[in-house]
Amino acid sequence: MGILRYLVRRLLFSVVLVLGVSAIIFFLLNAIGNPVDVLMADNPGITDESLAAVKAYYHLDASVGHRYLIWLGNIARLNFGTSITTNQPVGFMLLSFGAETLKLQIPAIILALLLSIGFAAVAAMRQYTRLDFGVMSAALLGHSLPGFLLGILLILIFAYWLGIFPSYGAYSTRNPLLGSYLADGLWHMVLPLTMLTIFNTATLTLLLRANLVDVLRQDFIMAARASGLPERRVVFHHALRNAIIPVLTYLGILFGLMLATAPVTETVFTWPGAGALYLAAIQSLDYPVIMSETLVITVMLVGFTLLTDLAYVLIDPRIRLD
Amino acid sequence: MLGLILIALVVVVAIVGPWLAPYTPNDQSAMLSFAAHGAPSWAHPFGTDRNGYDVLTRVIYGAPTALAVGLGAMLVASLIGILVGGVAGYLGGLADELLMRLTEFFLVIPVFVMILAVVRLFGVVVVGTWLESVPFLNLSTIVLLLGIFGWPPIARLARAEFLRLKGMDFVEAARCIGAQPRDILFRHILPNALPSLAVVIALGIGGAILAESMISFLGFGDPKAISWGQLLYFNYQVLRVSPWAVLAPGTAIFITVLGFNLLADGLSDAFNPRLKQ
Repeated sequence: MGILRYLVRRLLFSVVLVLGVSAIIFFLLNAIGNPVDVLMADNPGITDESLAAVKAYYHLDASVGHRYLIWLGNIARLNFGTSITTNQPVGFMLLSFGAETLKLQIPAIILALLLSIGFAAVAAMRQYTRLDFGVMSAALLGHSLPGFLLGILLILIFAYWLGIFPSYGAYSTRNPLLGSYLADGLWHMVLPLTMLTIFNTATLTLLLRANLVDVLRQDFIMAARASGLPERRVVFHHALRNAIIPVLTYLGILFGLMLATAPVTETVFTWPGAGALYLAAIQSLDYPVIMSETLVITVMLVGFTLLTDLAYVLIDPRIRLD
Repeated sequence: MLGLILIALVVVVAIVGPWLAPYTPNDQSAMLSFAAHGAPSWAHPFGTDRNGYDVLTRVIYGAPTALAVGLGAMLVASLIGILVGGVAGYLGGLADELLMRLTEFFLVIPVFVMILAVVRLFGVVVVGTWLESVPFLNLSTIVLLLGIFGWPPIARLARAEFLRLKGMDFVEAARCIGAQPRDILFRHILPNALPSLAVVIALGIGGAILAESMISFLGFGDPKAISWGQLLYFNYQVLRVSPWAVLAPGTAIFITVLGFNLLADGLSDAFNPRLKQ
């Protein structure tokens, strides 16, 4: 099968996946209660006029299936609706809050990848030594330490006891650090970024080291060593290239879940990002925000899975396209 | 080995908890004597929290909740996963294709955020209905959702195992003596697939416990149940004043999750000695 045909097929399947999940999101959330009934249950004092206005806005006189199509049509035109609580366009809210989330998540993943390559290479080169054991124990510990607990520990130690870093928020409300908003923003990023990086690094190191140990046992590595290459070059140039391929899947998941894992991180650090937005939307029963953000998270997950598949095909010509 | 010890610790605490705990779980008497936020002492080994609860007692009573969540969610997930994966692997062909597409579909559902939304909306809707009288309604909802959305990894592995085992001689022999497909699937193939599945299930138990504690930490847990995540939720805002009330349940979560991760590691080493060398 040609590579183009394979890509088109994956792309089509991805679209089907997103459509299917969008149906689940819509019907599950609407099966529990339609937006107005749920709002009514939580706000007993609502007047009849506002009730009628809200009902008309959601086309609640139409059937559920019809409403789903209307919603889908709007989403396809990138019209995510208007938030019930803030009255702002949801698309705009997702962009501005999402930027705060990505500002932490993207550097954390890239840093973690670089660090874990270093750790895994060192551990695999000194296999079964004390150094290997130490690195792997630390990695297993970091992998099992729940991310939010790590964040809490960081806040306790570095914000409360040592007082070096701020414990909450993305910016100071007044008196930014050194009078510069850039420095102040970076200052606030240190702790959450550390938490995410440690967590990602631990898991990536575990995966990479396992793959490296496997690869280092193969014949072509022996050939490379026999040809007199220095060990460092063998590991970083020949072995790593092959060991990193299976890790791509996990990297794709990390990127795809950037928004999905945000609620916990952003609660720990009171960070004004997409996760905090989502939690606020659930609390205030803000249906347009809940549904749009869930859909955006799905699209990201599916999109990055697709990119991972693509990367595999481009990197590893042995992969069969079926 | 360490994994088993840690899990045994949690299980023992869960079973003998009521005799072990120094106070009753709903004892808030520390509030009356201005002893809330109390630092660890002889009377309260892990201190007291902002609501005047004895932290040690609440941590002990959180153990059965955590185990129930982990086991309950994985029971649901294993049932669905083994059925879907087993049938797909055994039948092959179109059924396999369809079931695996379904699995892929469930893999991209943003489970965690969906559960948060469903639990919250459901909590609003049930007010005033008979459902309200169901004990631990919120917690059961969370467990059920974690199971319903948690089966794809189990299904994928079950499919691979059933596919591998169905070509083996002993399955062929069973078929020759006229065994029913149901018996072949569940009495001949399944027991041989279980060792590999146990690894994924052990990981899943730890994952479900972690997920529930995060859901509770975010404030969407069951107010009637005593769970570690809920302790975190109640006390996180006063972390600076009484860190022990956060660190104790946090450590309990860590120990339990680490226990199941190590168990999964140990199981996978034990069943695949080839990898160990």
